[in-house]
Amino acid sequence: MSGRGSRITDEEINELVSKLQSLLPESRRRNTGRVSASKLLKETCTYIKSLHREVDDLSDRLSGLMVTMDSNSPQADIIRSLLRS
Amino acid sequence: MQAAKSFVQAFLKQMLLGIQLSAVSHRSGSLQERKSAIKLSADVAMAVARGSKKWTRGLIASLSKEEQNRSFRQFVLGKDFGRPAKLCHSSWKIPRSKNIVRRSLRFLSKRKSNIRAPNSSVLAGTLVEKRTQVLKRLVPGGESMDGFSLLDETLDYVTCLQAQVDVMQKLMTTLEASKHRADSNAQCPKAKLHLLAMVGSCYSTRKGLWKRLSKRPKLTL
Repeated sequence: MSGRGSRITDEEINELVSKLQSLLPESRRRNTGRVSASKLLKETCTYIKSLHREVDDLSDRLSGLMVTMDSNSPQADIIRSLLRS
Repeated sequence: MQAAKSFVQAFLKQMLLGIQLSAVSHRSGSLQERKSAIKLSADVAMAVARGSKKWTRGLIASLSKEEQNRSFRQFVLGKDFGRPAKLCHSSWKIPRSKNIVRRSLRFLSKRKSNIRAPNSSVLAGTLVEKRTQVLKRLVPGGESMDGFSLLDETLDYVTCLQAQVDVMQKLMTTLEASKHRADSNAQCPKAKLHLLAMVGSCYSTRKGLWKRLSKRPKLTL
């Protein structure tokens, strides 16, 4: 990490790192203190890629579900009700 | 760290509006076109719902540049793209979107010159540096971010991605359930209750109705 100590404190950096770590799926199994920067970066990148894949897959499946979405389908009703809320 | 409820609400609404206005509801579109439209709607909705962050500007900028998203500019800038949207009650006008697009395009052209700037970090070539480069490519707009800012934006971006996946999953479950129950008179499958609760709809504020809804026989999904 770049040394911008004059404006950003070490505590802020530590807090950011631990927040990021807590987002990652594997971190729930691990209760140790700090992980290495390179491991954190690697897991973050892996996780982001898997989230991208999930969104892609969900888009695929949603497109299959919405093929019959005309004005009278129950799906259109659901979407309308969600938009009204 | 979870995404704010206001983000989840805004994201769902924007995504649904985008889907309605796009090729999805038109039967003539191919499966691939529908999928791209949904993905685009989801990404734009995520960026717009989050507001002004470096990654949202980066995302909108990169989405507007993609060739297949020609009509994207029309969505985001609120112009009528000429197709009657049968299901849509309001146009997909996002008040701040014009600014976001303008700033993103400026942001992109301004930063282009900085991408090849020499990296002043003493860690050049190490594993950390290599992985930082990978992360910069994954986070929208990341190429021009450095150090603390990159981590901060990554944290925010991952939180929003998680919410995006979560909402899309619940939407899919809801639609799947309704499809299988098109014949029966099931009004409100469990998945829809979850989705409505998530966006804090009027159902959850009317205690009596909520209690009655949750007492319906459990439906297998």
